[in-house]
Amino acid sequence: MSLSYAEWASAVREGSLLGLACEECGHTNGVPTGACPHCGNRDLQQVSLPTEGTVHTETTIQVPPDGFDEGGYQVAVVEVGDARVMGRIADESASVAIGDAVALSGVITEDDDHPAPVFEPV
Amino acid sequence: MTRAAVVGAGMTSFGVHDTPLQELFGEAAFGALDDAGVTTDDLDALYFGNAMSGQAENETHLGPRVASHIGAAGLAVQRFEDACATSANAFKNAVQAVDAGVHEIVLVGGVERCTPETGRDTAAMTRIFASASHRQYEQPTGLTFPSVFALLTKRHMHEHGTTEEDLASVAVKNHANGRLNPRAHFGKETTVEEVLDGPVVADPFRLMDCCPFSDGASAVVVVSDDLADSFDAPVDVTGIGHATDVVPIADKTALTATQAARDAAEEAYGQAGIEADDADFAEVHDCFTGAEILASEAIGFAPDGEGGRYAADGRTALDGDRPINPSGGLKAKGHPIGATGTAQIVELTEQIRGTVGERQVDDAETGVAHNLGGDSATTVVSVLEGRA
Repeated sequence: MSLSYAEWASAVREGSLLGLACEECGHTNGVPTGACPHCGNRDLQQVSLPTEGTVHTETTIQVPPDGFDEGGYQVAVVEVGDARVMGRIADESASVAIGDAVALSGVITEDDDHPAPVFEPV
Repeated sequence: MTRAAVVGAGMTSFGVHDTPLQELFGEAAFGALDDAGVTTDDLDALYFGNAMSGQAENETHLGPRVASHIGAAGLAVQRFEDACATSANAFKNAVQAVDAGVHEIVLVGGVERCTPETGRDTAAMTRIFASASHRQYEQPTGLTFPSVFALLTKRHMHEHGTTEEDLASVAVKNHANGRLNPRAHFGKETTVEEVLDGPVVADPFRLMDCCPFSDGASAVVVVSDDLADSFDAPVDVTGIGHATDVVPIADKTALTATQAARDAAEEAYGQAGIEADDADFAEVHDCFTGAEILASEAIGFAPDGEGGRYAADGRTALDGDRPINPSGGLKAKGHPIGATGTAQIVELTEQIRGTVGERQVDDAETGVAHNLGGDSATTVVSVLEGRA
């Protein structure tokens, strides 16, 4: 079963996360892909990823690129079930550290309306 | 086993250049050709790297333009783009072509301008650099390249206890080496305290943990093993490995592994018939201090988890037992994206020839170059050795 960017983005806008599970090697991809990047299997199963997870790594960006008004925002890779996804930590939240529990709390579309998941500490 | 040989090397100073791309490339190319004692008539092909001048300067289709500028119109030119690993990939393809007998003498090089001379300020250039991260799954978070390597480095700090002082010691070392390199963008005596006092770019990286935006060009002349003996100072290319890793970052197996570098190093060392311990020094891709620590482990210069300690203890310094980035690295020498890969080959060539003066590594007979692109998802590792 495939998963397109459009389906993934639509889910993120509606407050859920979709991934692709590979039964051949056990990897769960946190975002759409044409085949498992680790083993090449194309027969991947679309899965709903948990919306609560744990911070795998994080950083706070003080020097933003064009298109983002102000620095001081935090980006994290979050472990959600068997997958990981990259997202923003909500601006109004306290910053998070590796190992902290977070939950999906919204979406940002600051970059030409491309959605990114937003998490907040729980 | 010798796959090809470098017989000429040239580069511009890295820094701020109010000079068009073809003129910058010309300076490096003429330097390499003159060093080798060949003319453009002797060349079979040009392998050329430029990563982002289409975005930065509205300049594409640079191959014939730079070839015309150096008086080599008519030559077959292939242009490479692999983010920061651009010209290492050009070098790999050139070596393969020579090794396979497709060509006998080729010119390889790259050029890039990244400073405000392009008309792009820091925010604009930061966005252009970020185009090497995933458009759909990373860029919308506001990700930048300092933050890409910050994510990898913080994981390393969490897993191995690497400290901000360890990171700063890489900057101190590379600035010290850069001071001895007349072509370096920067170079000064500094201290761990001074680095830790700088403004934060993306934690744990402060300003001096980051390489600068630089302009510059580099080039080398590569010839077949058979031809090499007719040149004055050939340096053998005995191995080149090239691998990719999963993009985006979140789907990599282990964030601290920089797996493409491990795979590329294994391939390169296998071709050369060496182990990491046989190499006398390395030039690695220290776009950020944390990147050097990850690279030093991936190419086997430090055990996993100990790269930070090796730097802090001085083991990777010029007079240490595992010297890394005698040129000053990207951190101090500078990082004109498409010129960086072949600039590492220039440094390896000149170190092995023993002609770099004060920054000379003792008994530099075998050198390793590690050039990565993007979040390290492309890495090329090269092994160069003095000709017996």
